[in-house]
Amino acid sequence: MADEDNSSDRVDNETPKPEKMFTLKKWNAVAMWSWDVECDTCAICRVQVMDACLRCQAESKAGSGRQDCVVVWGECNHSFHYCCMSLWVKQNNRCPLCQQEWSIQRMGK
Amino acid sequence: MLKQDKGQQHTFEDKWPSMRAIVLKLLQQEPVTQNEWQDLFYNVHSVCLWDEKGAVKVRDALTDDIMEFIKKAQVRVMSHQEDQALLKAYIAEWRKFFTQCNYLPTPFRQLETSLVGYKTPGFKTATEASIVRKLMLDSWNESIFSDIKQRLQDSAMKLVHAERAGEAFDSQLVIGVRESYVNLCSNPKDKLQIYRDNFEKAYMEATEAFYKMKAPQYLHANGVQNYMRYADSKLREEELRAHKYLESCSGSVQLLTECCVNVLVTAFKNTILAECAGMIKANETDKLQLMFKLMDRVPDGISPMLDDLVEHILQAGLDDMMASADVITQDSEKYVERLLQLFNQFSLLVKEAFSDDPRFLTARDKAYKQVVNDTQVFRLELPSKQNSGVKCQPESKCPELLANYCDMLLRKTPLSKKLTSDEIESKLRDVLLVLKYVQNKDVFMRYHKAHLTRRLILDTSADSEKEENMVEWLREVGMPADYVNKLARMFQDVKVSEDLNQQFKEQCRSTRGSIADSINIKILNAGAWARGSERVTVSLPMELEDYIPEVEDFYKKKHSGRKLQWYHHMSNGTITFANSVGRYDVDVTTFQMAVLFAWNQRSQDRISYENLRLATELPDPELRRTLWSLVAFPKIRRQVLLYGPEVQSPKDFDENTQFWVNQEFALVKNGKLQKRGKINLVGRLQLSTERSKEEDNESIVQLRILRVQEAIIKILKMRKKMSNAQLQTELVDILKNMFLPSKKMIKEQIEWLIEHKYMRRDEDDINTFIYMA
Repeated sequence: MADEDNSSDRVDNETPKPEKMFTLKKWNAVAMWSWDVECDTCAICRVQVMDACLRCQAESKAGSGRQDCVVVWGECNHSFHYCCMSLWVKQNNRCPLCQQEWSIQRMGK
Repeated sequence: MLKQDKGQQHTFEDKWPSMRAIVLKLLQQEPVTQNEWQDLFYNVHSVCLWDEKGAVKVRDALTDDIMEFIKKAQVRVMSHQEDQALLKAYIAEWRKFFTQCNYLPTPFRQLETSLVGYKTPGFKTATEASIVRKLMLDSWNESIFSDIKQRLQDSAMKLVHAERAGEAFDSQLVIGVRESYVNLCSNPKDKLQIYRDNFEKAYMEATEAFYKMKAPQYLHANGVQNYMRYADSKLREEELRAHKYLESCSGSVQLLTECCVNVLVTAFKNTILAECAGMIKANETDKLQLMFKLMDRVPDGISPMLDDLVEHILQAGLDDMMASADVITQDSEKYVERLLQLFNQFSLLVKEAFSDDPRFLTARDKAYKQVVNDTQVFRLELPSKQNSGVKCQPESKCPELLANYCDMLLRKTPLSKKLTSDEIESKLRDVLLVLKYVQNKDVFMRYHKAHLTRRLILDTSADSEKEENMVEWLREVGMPADYVNKLARMFQDVKVSEDLNQQFKEQCRSTRGSIADSINIKILNAGAWARGSERVTVSLPMELEDYIPEVEDFYKKKHSGRKLQWYHHMSNGTITFANSVGRYDVDVTTFQMAVLFAWNQRSQDRISYENLRLATELPDPELRRTLWSLVAFPKIRRQVLLYGPEVQSPKDFDENTQFWVNQEFALVKNGKLQKRGKINLVGRLQLSTERSKEEDNESIVQLRILRVQEAIIKILKMRKKMSNAQLQTELVDILKNMFLPSKKMIKEQIEWLIEHKYMRRDEDDINTFIYMA
């Protein structure tokens, strides 16, 4: 009942009442982002796609600032670390999961 | 002609009388002219060359003369009845004789060559195995020395005894006797044989006998503590004395020291050690130092002292904790400071009493570790298995409290404001010191990360440089790299997010003007921050809801392939609360905002719990908690919301409990109402929901199980085959920087791995495991 009122009240009350009892001054909104993937592990290096791939982790070990180790999606909708996949296609231009011809659908940014 | 002439003159019979005169003079140390000295050389040479039997005859004659001389000397020495005089006389005679042992052989060099028979003339050197010298020394040894050596020795020992008893005397006498023993080296293979068999032996026996009698008397008369001082000073004294009277570089001194230690210390080991515990307790460092010095010389002397130290630390540490249990279980600052105080106290003891000897440091560490991880005072209940909630394995709460204390130092708190930067740094170092002794570091890591998350999200770090230093320090003390890296990533991520926030604001400024100032966004990497599924749904007030699509659109333009999840339980803000008394800026969580904004349309109404639940769509536990924070926020006089009927805890709200805005809400400062002001109602930002809190502890256990499995496989993969005991040791070694796996957990995981064919038991020996690929 109350939440239904909520939406209708808003239209009614916004203009007539100049000062509400509670007004927003500042909001610090927090959100988390993650890659929009079906499987959260890279099938090539077995590391979560949210983490840098094994290679990148080894290279930037001493906290020298993690390079962006992004995710790539193929036409087949399977996703991997871009670093892992670019090495993979040198040997075999097929998706490691479904064996379809690999072509990039989009890259994470 | 020459031959005949020489033959006449160079026989032994011709020459000996003149030679003998000179020899006698030499023996008696009468002055010999240079001519006489040279004549002797010449005569020996010619007799040996020209008289076929000359060499033998010379030797025999020389022997007779030497013997005769020695006989006379013996008579002179023996004429003294009194020991000391006898010694003096003997030493005087010996000194004279020994000097001659170096001179007399020289003219007879030729004799040696003749007697030995030209075999290896080039090999002989003057002093080494000179026949004449040997002759002299042997004669001395056989006659005078063997007759009176017992008396000599006895007199010398009497003197040493007298010195021990405090009488002064001429130490040269004893030294002289010793020298005569040493130099009477008839056996070229062991030049010290005579010395060792006689003098050294006698000296040892005398020493031992002396202290065997004295030591128990002293101990009986003066007690253990004085006795230790006595023993120590005697040991030092005897060592000095040994250096004086015993032959150096013969090992005698060391032998004697051992002997003294035996009589003085080892014999009373248990009596002395019995005092140890009491002294440690009374912190009598000087006496302990002394005891340590004595016991360090005795085999197995130290280990009972180590046991006493461990016992004391445990006892004192736990007693102390128990005594102040009321305070320290509530107050992590007091607890950590108490722990540190104990640590410093024990360290000081080890330093002052035992000079930081590594064995005692190890004992201190061992005992302190037990104090830190003790579960008697307070415990953290961890479910031992995921599904059996009843069985709990208690653990020390120490890591949690350490993390809390860190938070107090790193956050803007009254404590951190009070301290200087250096003080904070040294206190953080202290925390790391204690952390070293904590067995379950994974618990610390979890709490530390949660606190860090709060500080970064609420921007409440006191000093961001110190925050990042802390991460490096954690790395230095050996916290697992993946954990430390994750913390470091959080810092980087916050910076990235800050840049994004600026860009967002600029864009807003150009399109929507002033709104830019009223919103900050933090869009964080879920991989670094998020912990499981803990998102909570909430129906946002319109004011906030409007922003959401805007932020999402902005983010989509910046990035692709990413999805956003709002973490409203972490977000927060400031609202202005205007009532009849005044206007107040209130810092609130988004949940609190959602609740309060429900009154914007009906400011005077009373709203039931049920209606608030419908309005906010918050899950029941979160709504209760949020409401409680608004009706009963600690330490403020007037609450924002009022409610009825009264209840004792948030659990007791029922769906008809009524809530209304406190129109008289005001800030009270020094008893006066304030018309304006700022107040923070965020409290401790809840990172996890009620439900996920339970999951939290479970996930610690779950993670431990995985770590144990992982480590077992890692070890077995390398070793292929190994015994149970060996596996356990290596396992603890690998995991010690995270937690101490219990025997039970290890056993369960081994069973699991066997069941799943990762490994198997050896057919011949069930305590041996074999890796299966």
